[in-house]
Amino acid sequence: MEFKVRACRFNPEVDKKPYYKEYTIEDYPGMTVLNALIKVKSELDGTLSFRRSCRSAICGSCAMKINGISKLACKTQVGPEIEKFGIINVGPLANMPVIRDLIVDQESFFDKIKEIKPYLLGQREDEAYNGFHVLKEGEKISQPVYYKSEFQNLTGNNDTPNCILCECCYSECGGVVGNPGYLGPAALAKLYRYSEDPRDNDKNGSRLVNGSKADGMWDCVHCQACEEFCPKGVSPVKSIVKLHERTIKNSITFSAGSKHVVSIAKSIRKTGRLDEIKVAFDSVGISGLINNLPMILGAGLKGKIPPLRLKLIKDMEDIRLAYKELDLEGK
Amino acid sequence: MLKHDVVIVGAGLAGLRACVELRRKGIDAIIVSKVYPTRSHSGAAQGGVNAAFDENDSWESHFFDTVKGSDYLGDQDAIEILTSEAPANIIDLQRMGVVFNRNDRGGIAQRPFGGQSFPRSCYYADAVGHMMLHGLFDNVLKYKTKILYEYFVTSLVTDNGKVSGVVAYDIKNGKFEGIAAKAVLFATGGYGQVYSSNTNALINTGDGMAISIKAGVPLMDMEFVQFHPTTLKSTGILVTEGARGEGAYLLNSLGVRFMSKYASKAMELAPRDVVARAEQTEINEGRGIDGAILLDVRHLGKEKIMERLPQIMQLSIDFEGVNPIYEPIPIRPGAHYSMGGIKTDYNGRTAIEGYYSAGESACVSVHGANRLGGNSLLDTVVFGRRAGIDITEYLKTASETKFDESMVKRDEEVFEKLKKSTGKERHGLLKSELQEEMRANVGVFREENVMKKALDKIIELRERTKNISIDDKSKTFNTDIVEAFEFNNMLIIAEVIARGAILRKESRGAHYRTDFPERDDGNWLKHTLATLDGKENIKFDFSEVVITKFKPQPRTY
Repeated sequence: MEFKVRACRFNPEVDKKPYYKEYTIEDYPGMTVLNALIKVKSELDGTLSFRRSCRSAICGSCAMKINGISKLACKTQVGPEIEKFGIINVGPLANMPVIRDLIVDQESFFDKIKEIKPYLLGQREDEAYNGFHVLKEGEKISQPVYYKSEFQNLTGNNDTPNCILCECCYSECGGVVGNPGYLGPAALAKLYRYSEDPRDNDKNGSRLVNGSKADGMWDCVHCQACEEFCPKGVSPVKSIVKLHERTIKNSITFSAGSKHVVSIAKSIRKTGRLDEIKVAFDSVGISGLINNLPMILGAGLKGKIPPLRLKLIKDMEDIRLAYKELDLEGK
Repeated sequence: MLKHDVVIVGAGLAGLRACVELRRKGIDAIIVSKVYPTRSHSGAAQGGVNAAFDENDSWESHFFDTVKGSDYLGDQDAIEILTSEAPANIIDLQRMGVVFNRNDRGGIAQRPFGGQSFPRSCYYADAVGHMMLHGLFDNVLKYKTKILYEYFVTSLVTDNGKVSGVVAYDIKNGKFEGIAAKAVLFATGGYGQVYSSNTNALINTGDGMAISIKAGVPLMDMEFVQFHPTTLKSTGILVTEGARGEGAYLLNSLGVRFMSKYASKAMELAPRDVVARAEQTEINEGRGIDGAILLDVRHLGKEKIMERLPQIMQLSIDFEGVNPIYEPIPIRPGAHYSMGGIKTDYNGRTAIEGYYSAGESACVSVHGANRLGGNSLLDTVVFGRRAGIDITEYLKTASETKFDESMVKRDEEVFEKLKKSTGKERHGLLKSELQEEMRANVGVFREENVMKKALDKIIELRERTKNISIDDKSKTFNTDIVEAFEFNNMLIIAEVIARGAILRKESRGAHYRTDFPERDDGNWLKHTLATLDGKENIKFDFSEVVITKFKPQPRTY
């Protein structure tokens, strides 16, 4: 069967802006979008540019927008795409500048991975580097003991070490759209991966402190896109939520995001209701409120004014019981 | 021009491991790679990395298994190093942050692998290469290493028999760059793309080996190409040996576990050369199914498959349309690994002073005529580390060399000339012809007459390559021209393989000659060394195999 590949083309040496070019090729059973692009390149047009390497969904090179969605071209079958869309539309990933055709500049993404210190900090005493022991005849090595339970969050099928840095999540991330400086899902998932590692010895919690700063974990907008579009079944947003829990448990609450969460919990504990004014004040402080004055006044003029005094809800006893249970669980 | 103490070309496991060793000591080492490091093909390794940890196992047993697996062509001094340093290297990786699955006693879990007499393959589900690659790369970031990624190295530069640097093409902007260095390490991987139906990444085009032979460094034992017994029928994508390690069966069209006929004791866990030949025999004799045979994991049960082989399950579903929990997977042998490569000693040194190689691009030789599963990842870290240490020592006394900048100009001109070519041939199509020729005629079973035809074809392709067209004339991310250059490298490698295979008139390990079906220790217990003479013709010399402990014996499983 013949089908059309419609590829986004852009060469900064000659083009002012991107355009689309169509190619017609023949498919075969099991053909992937990457196979299709390779066929176009080797038979029709050698100028079509894209990254590719392993062709088995482990290297993360060939992530691109396929019919509007960030996917690995090597893992996406042509058949179902044609059935659904009638065409294979390919374009570069979003949230990164385009270098050429389907190739984006990934430098900002990789810089953010570096920023979270993606390695073990410090060393546990029994792991201290004590030289490299080469065995003599008849000799055996003794290995440090770690139990399965210590690695339980790192050895599951969908856990963060399975991330291949393909940038599908980053391309779909709502947080990065709003704030290009935001670390993004992959970097935060990696931050979580190392903070969960039993060998990590980050005594002063610097990893969580750094991750809590502006553009960090509290800038996640919880849109769940990272989980939805991960080709490896990893859920960065789950890692981010766990990071939130950890920072608050460790009283790392200097960021507006964490203050926001703590204040909401307090307000509900007290009245069973959300005291929006207090929450806003607790989160950003007086200076934050002044900075946002035009927005606040605008909302006020449109009649959007939260109640100044909150009445206790009727079933306050239920709330108290719920909190009691949560407090126990927290301990 | 850039100037650094050490240039590491290639950022798979061997390159990264060497880099960590150097950067730990504060040495000015940089990485140059044609892809971002985490795109390297080491990441696709699935099943395991071998080291003897168990109290009932010993590194000496690992040593013997590897010698036997190599069909006695491996150098035993090097294999002794590989196996005795294995446990310490694994512990070191763990210290660096690599995660391995655990056993109930709190140690590293280990699974059986082909040709190993004890379960000694350490693993992380079925993605241990991915885990090690990212773990080591994270350490390279820790030591704030300069990484020139998407730089394609085109030449090795020497000065009076000493290395003085490399020439690299910056793919992003089309500029050539000279990089002067006191020491250069090539960890550039294999050439699996020379064959159709291979397990390799599209980037595995044997560049490092081709550049080396052009620079006068011998390539050793290149006729030994490993065919992995279990690759997906339609795509050649790897299905780990770990599947058989966990207990999978190989079945022919009659539903029979045919390995009983070929390796009655080891069965499915015989070494790869034995299993690949058994499969091909079944297929050739009409007991295959549509050119494939079946890998059956159903009896392992859903839970074990999900826990130990999740990647395999997903790859089978995505690329073969088969869910292994319910159906057997159609598989066939596919080109997988290069036992041969740039001749090095066990410290990574080559024939040129200051020039090193490690990993699949190198031939130490620890794999001899056939590599055992789980020994290649081990090879990368053991010899990557050793190269790093040796380079550290070398730098202490290395004298200054002159970097010949005309080499940069020369490569630039080669590219410019290539870019202007407007012939009728398309290199992408020539590549397919080469791959198919090599698969069909220099494959699992080999015969002189057939291979001579393949050689004629390679020479014909080389001629036709003079008449190719390059569509892409631009400087920005011009992958058209990079692929054309890679194809030139592949042609060199293919010719060395074919000539070496014709030359070696015996059957040993992965090299099986139907016209010489026996191993011939009297004439052929020796390494082949390929070099180019002045006129770009390949010539062969030989060198002795190092035998220390284990005299050659008949090899049965």
